[in-house]
Amino acid sequence: MDSREEMQKAKRSIAQAGADWQFWASIPVVYSAFYCQHMVLSVGGKLRYLAIVVGSEEAFQTAKVTKLLQWLEAIGMKHVCLYDMEGVLKKSKEAILEKINNTTVFQEADENDKLLDQKHMTLEFASYSDGKEAVAKAANLLFAKYLQSANSDGDPDERIFNEPHMTEALRAVGCGGPEPDLLLVYGPARCHLGFPAWRIRYTEIVHMGSLKSMRYGSLMKAIYKFTMVRQNYGK
Amino acid sequence: MLSLSLPIPANNTLIPLRPNSSRSRRAGAESHPFSPLPYRKLHGPVETTTLAKVALRENVRDEGREGNSISGDSPEAEPLPEGFREDMMPKHVAVIMDGNARWAKLRSLPASAGHEAGSRSLRELVELCAHWGIRVLTVFAFSYDNWIRPKVEVDFLMTLFEREIKSQLQNFVREGIRISVIGDSSKLPKSLQKLISDAEETTKDNSRLQLIVAVSYSGKYDIVQACKSIASKVKDGVIQLEDVGEGLIEQELETNCTEFPYPDLLIRTSGEQRVSNFLLWQLAYTEFFFAEALWPDFGKAEFVEALESFQQRQRRYGARR
Repeated sequence: MDSREEMQKAKRSIAQAGADWQFWASIPVVYSAFYCQHMVLSVGGKLRYLAIVVGSEEAFQTAKVTKLLQWLEAIGMKHVCLYDMEGVLKKSKEAILEKINNTTVFQEADENDKLLDQKHMTLEFASYSDGKEAVAKAANLLFAKYLQSANSDGDPDERIFNEPHMTEALRAVGCGGPEPDLLLVYGPARCHLGFPAWRIRYTEIVHMGSLKSMRYGSLMKAIYKFTMVRQNYGK
Repeated sequence: MLSLSLPIPANNTLIPLRPNSSRSRRAGAESHPFSPLPYRKLHGPVETTTLAKVALRENVRDEGREGNSISGDSPEAEPLPEGFREDMMPKHVAVIMDGNARWAKLRSLPASAGHEAGSRSLRELVELCAHWGIRVLTVFAFSYDNWIRPKVEVDFLMTLFEREIKSQLQNFVREGIRISVIGDSSKLPKSLQKLISDAEETTKDNSRLQLIVAVSYSGKYDIVQACKSIASKVKDGVIQLEDVGEGLIEQELETNCTEFPYPDLLIRTSGEQRVSNFLLWQLAYTEFFFAEALWPDFGKAEFVEALESFQQRQRRYGARR
């Protein structure tokens, strides 16, 4: 993305946020343009993959979901996973894709290392079946491998049952998406509602309140705060 | 942002309610030996506390408490804070005890001092949970990912765990607390492994509160070891491959040591907002509370705040739970 394109995106962000007076009132005017430009520059840098969890009752608000995605697309967010437990968003996929320009559905064949090369926003749709159920299916692949292997006479060992193999098995059953950097939860409950457990080891989790009351300013604030976080990863 | 609608009651609390509006500590209990720093922005130089001063306060505090008894000098139970509903207390609370090293750094102390201070916070929390009818308390004491920390710090932590288990064991027996340890114990010192095994055996019939300590634990490892365990059973013909599903995996997770394996509330201290490979499978419907306080500064007031928040929130359970 060249600097002119970045500034245009920043200007679009400012325009879209214009109506959100509470957000802008909280930032000194001189910093506003910098703030938006910072957001545009941050996504794709530190924030490569964003997950949005929506309470299933609220997931029917397709217009709200679409608006949220438009905000994200305007600041240059390239990869978003939309999750709700019941799969309502999966069923609304076509309606959502129609409203967002230059968007494709996430294909695992793209591989994580090509995420930054995408010119379009990619969307992944996930539900409960991509979480615990997927782990069970992946486990069955490993069981079959173990039973067939020469070691099946001995104890199951780490050559078959280890984290990398589980990750591969999840990919094989079609549930091998990347670990989100940030997960935003829209809904009344402050929990992730079964988002695929294998993928949230170090994911920042922020509760945003109800989807009905979503605000552009709150979204920007959550993303901005994320960019300020420093992780040690156990060290 | 949240709707403060009527909370949904939880069941099965054990300790009877006694109204008490005071937030003061029990008679005879000493105040926290370390002056807690505000966890908002500091507005001036922090008083430098030397390790010697810390050790002196520690000795004074320990001498003042006979055997660090959980019930302290007062025979009375710690009553539920005013306004709390007994039937809405979480059955299982999980805690990521984060911030010991930062707490020590703010005071120009070594990390070990932070861990020592953190152990006191844990003792207080165990006591409160036992008095307030919480059935299970799971604490993230040491992640599998923490093995890469400096050897000095890791060795100190292993020593601290041994010391704490030894010093608290009789209290657990007296107070009806059962201790369980989850995680990959193969990397722990042999002496600690034995101590854990003995402590678990000694307290296995206690039922007032179960304290689950996650040491060398990884949520991903937990899932993998569950699958490994199932594979053994399939090979041995104990279960059929076609019967394997998420339910069976759940039964083989390390949290199968408790009747209530799913936390109702997860508290993480020090302001970080992630689960860091803790109980990944088990947290699907757990309410998160991210506290700003560093773990050594997390006391009764902070715990009350977390519980208040829990009781006020609207809880939704998924159909598949």
